[in-house]
Amino acid sequence: MPEAVSYFFMSWTSPYLLFLTAAGTFAGIYIGAIPGLSVTMAVSILISFTFKWHVNEALALIAGIYLGGVYGGSRSAILLNIPGAPAAIATALDGYPLAKRGEAGTAIGLTTVVSVFGGFIGILALAIGAPILSNLALLFAPRDYLMLAIWGILLVGSLSGESLAKGIFAGALGVLIGMIGLDPMTAEGRFTYGSVQLSAGIPYVAAMIGFFGVAEVLVQLHQLHITPVKQNVTKIIPSWGLLKKYLPLSLRSSVIGVFVGALPGAGGDIAALMAYDHAKRTTKNPSRPFGEGAYEGIVAPETANNAAVPGEYIPMLTLGIPGDAVTAVIIGALYIHGLKPGPMLMIETPHLFWFCVGNLVLANLFLLPMGLSGIRIFTKIVETPKAILLPLILVLSAVGTYAIENNPVHVYWMLAFGVVGYFLKMYGFQVGPVILGIILGPLIDVSYRRAMISAGDEPPQFLVEFFTSPVSIVLVAALALTVLSQTALWKKLTGRTLPKTPD
Amino acid sequence: MTPPARRLPGELTFVLVMLLFGATALWQAFRISGFSSWSSPGAVPMLAALVMVTAAIRVVLVERRRKAPEIPPGSTLAATFAHVVTPRAIVAFTLLIVLYMFALEPLGFIVASFLFLVAGMWVLGSRRLPYNALISAVSLAVIYVIFQTAFSVVLPDGVLKGVL
Repeated sequence: MPEAVSYFFMSWTSPYLLFLTAAGTFAGIYIGAIPGLSVTMAVSILISFTFKWHVNEALALIAGIYLGGVYGGSRSAILLNIPGAPAAIATALDGYPLAKRGEAGTAIGLTTVVSVFGGFIGILALAIGAPILSNLALLFAPRDYLMLAIWGILLVGSLSGESLAKGIFAGALGVLIGMIGLDPMTAEGRFTYGSVQLSAGIPYVAAMIGFFGVAEVLVQLHQLHITPVKQNVTKIIPSWGLLKKYLPLSLRSSVIGVFVGALPGAGGDIAALMAYDHAKRTTKNPSRPFGEGAYEGIVAPETANNAAVPGEYIPMLTLGIPGDAVTAVIIGALYIHGLKPGPMLMIETPHLFWFCVGNLVLANLFLLPMGLSGIRIFTKIVETPKAILLPLILVLSAVGTYAIENNPVHVYWMLAFGVVGYFLKMYGFQVGPVILGIILGPLIDVSYRRAMISAGDEPPQFLVEFFTSPVSIVLVAALALTVLSQTALWKKLTGRTLPKTPD
Repeated sequence: MTPPARRLPGELTFVLVMLLFGATALWQAFRISGFSSWSSPGAVPMLAALVMVTAAIRVVLVERRRKAPEIPPGSTLAATFAHVVTPRAIVAFTLLIVLYMFALEPLGFIVASFLFLVAGMWVLGSRRLPYNALISAVSLAVIYVIFQTAFSVVLPDGVLKGVL
């Protein structure tokens, strides 16, 4: 226990780590706030840059950016009606009307405070829940990992983009891409066509930066002419009475946030939408009608999306399964640094877990002063024309890709994925499931084959085993529910489906 | 979110290409180990490809039911596609990226990136060349310093070999 405490405070007592966390949070707020820059993009690029760092330093920076970014999207959502990050889509619905009424300051202050609150609740859940889940995870059989991985891809595919079919297609495409290279169990080449390059598999970071960085830049080229409206921002720090009034809603939204964040594949954007939905359905007398500047409309999503961040860490650290695209990238970083996220992580390297928890608390604390200040600088930066910003992002992407192995071929892959990703996005396919598929593909492959082998290569036996343990039964039910909730039958029964996020 | 009522130009072609790709993937996955066993190396690739094909078929069926893309009078599908999905700015910028990629090692990071930044900003609409050049130079300096010191990234020197 005392060791846990010392690891917890590691980033608090080391000046360099302190600085990295603060810098990360600060940068994250602006990256999240500027539409066109995404946290996933930034973290993907940073993974390769921080390759030579110590893993703690890399994690500290990334945690700050993650937490800051998820919050930062709310700024441009409120001031410009453009969510800087997908997690802020719901915030714009009532945030921008508030700004139009001249209450942008109150809105920003409120979102900052509830975000920090949500973050703390989430971290608490992480600190308590992860060790429990980790013990539970030791009971997980390969078939359970198989189901979790499929569930993650399914969730991301079904809750985003235009249609379940497109989402599933994207996920399967990702899994296929993840299969390229040498088979981990038999060392045969799959889809390698005699090429040594391909035997090593697709350069993972190049794929990420291509899909999340380059493709996004290309899509943004369609929107070069958005000019922000000038805003006057005053009265930022919210009154105590206001905060007390929305505490219960904030608490409930945090729970929603952590839970959704912990689901493999579902992230802050889904959490925010579900919390907004919940607020709409449970608030009898909103301060104003929803959509016209209701405070509940910004409190709920902002609490949820920040609570989701520690939530994402739960499956990532305990099961090695990403909670969303950013944690998928972080898993990649952990691999690069020689760590293996999963149940053994908590047992072999518990210091990492407590370090992450302490680090998140620190980043959350930094969020408060940083979120309540710097609004004027922010408006200046956001007004940077895209014509200037986009080429810079491209250069950063190219360097980030090149830096992995000093191999220009990776940059070619990045561009190829960027172009493919562009067309996928244009035509309503989401790239999130593709990346998740690339990462989870190997896990699906190995888990499936282990489960099948232990069932003696007999499909009926294989299927029966899904109902032989409580964990497996729960997962089967969850999987079935997710698929059913997207079908026409469900729509008829309940009158609605789960909320979807726009592209 | 509900998709727009009409298809985008090229959408049907694209999903058909995706279907074809899925079918090809299925064939290639089959060639890994055929139907030898349920836990062979080819099993998951085949299953994934099968899912792709099934999903693609469903997408094609849905797309066919949607209204055809809007083509302004006097234009053709190909022209509308070029205009809507691959407008000049995007094509030009992508070509610039390709040139940048090939120039990265021979010209070196600083020179190639500077040229790319200035040209890119111009192509995207910022026509004030001196301003572009200044911003590019300053940003590049910042990036270079940060990368060399904080990130220990080795960037190609190219033509500036020995200068820095």
